[in-house]
Amino acid sequence: MNGITQSTALWYASRATGVVSLLLLTGVVLLGVLVNRQGRLPGLPRFVVTGLHRNLSLLGVVFVAIHVITAVLDPYVTIRIVAIVLPFSSAYKPLWLGLGAISLDLVLALILTSLARARMSRRLWRSLHWLSYAAWVSALLHSLFSSTDLQHGVLLYLTIACTLAVVAAVIWRITHAGREIPREERAAATLTMMSPRGGPQAPGSPRDGARRRAPENVR
Amino acid sequence: MTYGTTVPYSASSPGPRGSQRVSPGPAGTGPAGTGPAGGDLPRLLPVHGAVPVDLHTHVSRYAAPPYFGHPGQLIPVLKAAGLTGRGGAAFPVYRKLQAVAEARTRPVVIGNGAEGEPASDKDKSLLWISPHLVLDGLQLAAEAVGSQAVALYVHRNARLQERLRAAVAERAAAGIDRAPVEIIDAPPRFLAGEESALASRISGQPAMPRFKPPRVFERGVVGRPTLVHNVETLAHMALIARYGPAWFRAVGTPGEPGSMLCTLHPADGRRDVVETALGTPLRELLRLDGTQAVLSGGYHGAWVPAADAARMTLSNEDLQPAGAFVGAGVLVALPATRCGIAETARVARYLALESAGQCGPCFNGLPRIAAALDEVASPRPDPRAVTDMIRWAGLVEGRGACHHPDGTTRFVRSALHVFREEIRNHSAGRCVDPAREPFLPLPADTALAAADWS
Repeated sequence: MNGITQSTALWYASRATGVVSLLLLTGVVLLGVLVNRQGRLPGLPRFVVTGLHRNLSLLGVVFVAIHVITAVLDPYVTIRIVAIVLPFSSAYKPLWLGLGAISLDLVLALILTSLARARMSRRLWRSLHWLSYAAWVSALLHSLFSSTDLQHGVLLYLTIACTLAVVAAVIWRITHAGREIPREERAAATLTMMSPRGGPQAPGSPRDGARRRAPENVR
Repeated sequence: MTYGTTVPYSASSPGPRGSQRVSPGPAGTGPAGTGPAGGDLPRLLPVHGAVPVDLHTHVSRYAAPPYFGHPGQLIPVLKAAGLTGRGGAAFPVYRKLQAVAEARTRPVVIGNGAEGEPASDKDKSLLWISPHLVLDGLQLAAEAVGSQAVALYVHRNARLQERLRAAVAERAAAGIDRAPVEIIDAPPRFLAGEESALASRISGQPAMPRFKPPRVFERGVVGRPTLVHNVETLAHMALIARYGPAWFRAVGTPGEPGSMLCTLHPADGRRDVVETALGTPLRELLRLDGTQAVLSGGYHGAWVPAADAARMTLSNEDLQPAGAFVGAGVLVALPATRCGIAETARVARYLALESAGQCGPCFNGLPRIAAALDEVASPRPDPRAVTDMIRWAGLVEGRGACHHPDGTTRFVRSALHVFREEIRNHSAGRCVDPAREPFLPLPADTALAAADWS
């Protein structure tokens, strides 16, 4: 009797932390898109968005760790420790647990490279950070298909909501990128916004007005 | 001890013009090979005015560049001489050479003549008048680090580039150069000469700065260790290789030895390039009567009240306690009849627009600061503008890939301090110069298109 209770406790803990992890990772992806587009949350300064993105990702790792440890300890199915990080090596549902392992590996890679960001090239860090989308998608598929919990009821609606939110964020990101101010013009745009008395032209210099250079003058 | 010449070359009117300014110092060096007396100036500029030096005259004055035969030999000589970078940062020259020479991959050597600072003419003038001294230095630096990939990076100016190409061809034909030299075009931007922007441009990307580390001497042009030296630094190097550290140290101070080229903007509106010893009193370089403040270090430098400047010499030892520095040798005397705030506001706008637009604190912060300074320059400004500016300055400092935000806030902060009396005037609706005729030089163009950066 005692053994069964312990067993169900691990089973519940694993499922619950899995759901919370998915929610946290979804939040991290949404905030990441916002950081990338230099967006803001209402009432919060921009650097708070960056801080939230980072702290939420670290919290997500804690929940993922509990999720994985409890799943391994849970005697309901036998999962070998190596299957946690080595994709598709599990005897039980190799594909869907494998996606979970991929997601875990990617999340660890993202966290470690971000912690070491100051010591590595920006370009490398940035290209690695693109993997966060793959990590989220594999986590979602893993959540949906390794158990039936998310396939009906409130948890299904939650999963659909998470998916829609990330899809919407990606669409926003893509369309927003198209309307982005080219970096050469960013300072001028801010200056125009800040100056009630005139455009970006330095006062006293020969050209007047806030116009862009005429196309025929551009080399 | 100063040797002066009117600006022989400037962006607005390329080519030599004007006549020689009377030299206050003893002019004249010994004939070739005998070794000139160390105290004599000019060292880099010709003895007789602004006539460009051709290869024949160059070799008969200085002799051919003394190759050492082995990489690394020049480095201890430069260390003993105490030569520092003349591009503005005053970094010990031998340290960069050492780092690049010790690298395992074959390095690249670049002479940096991209003088983005609108108030500086000394690199253009040196390249125009004494190109062979720079090219000698480039060859000796390449030998010291064991490089065959050598280039000279200069602003887009057809006459100057044509001249430099001819000089390179002439040297190759005469068998003087050991490494072929390529002339590479720098976009006309303030930041084009920043080391990492230079490395990016020469690698085929836009001339925009990137985050460090890795430093350019670790990974620069196409990922190879890259030695970048200002063209004046290379010219000094060429002479130290010939005459030795003791000769170099015969002028200057023990802490800051040697001579340097300065671009002087006296209060009467002229522009002179002079060669002067470090440690020369500023009042010997610029007449300070009728002057309210001196700008030292260019537009990333700082204003110093004229009364303080009168007690200082051209040295970081004197200037740094006042928040300024020697930099690339730009010295401007602001006449008492001009508004220091309005002048600083014009330049701050220009600097904000020269942001590469890569780092948020820079492209968001500098325009805000510039707009607030514009407000302070206007009659009866919003009293919150000064405190806003100081708060924003604190938010942008140290947060860019390059030092553009830091240099700009240093310049603005010094103006708020030095011209505080004028700010009080503006609050009362008065200004010392209501006409606002521009004094500090600025280029007409602003960088608003991608093409401007490549």
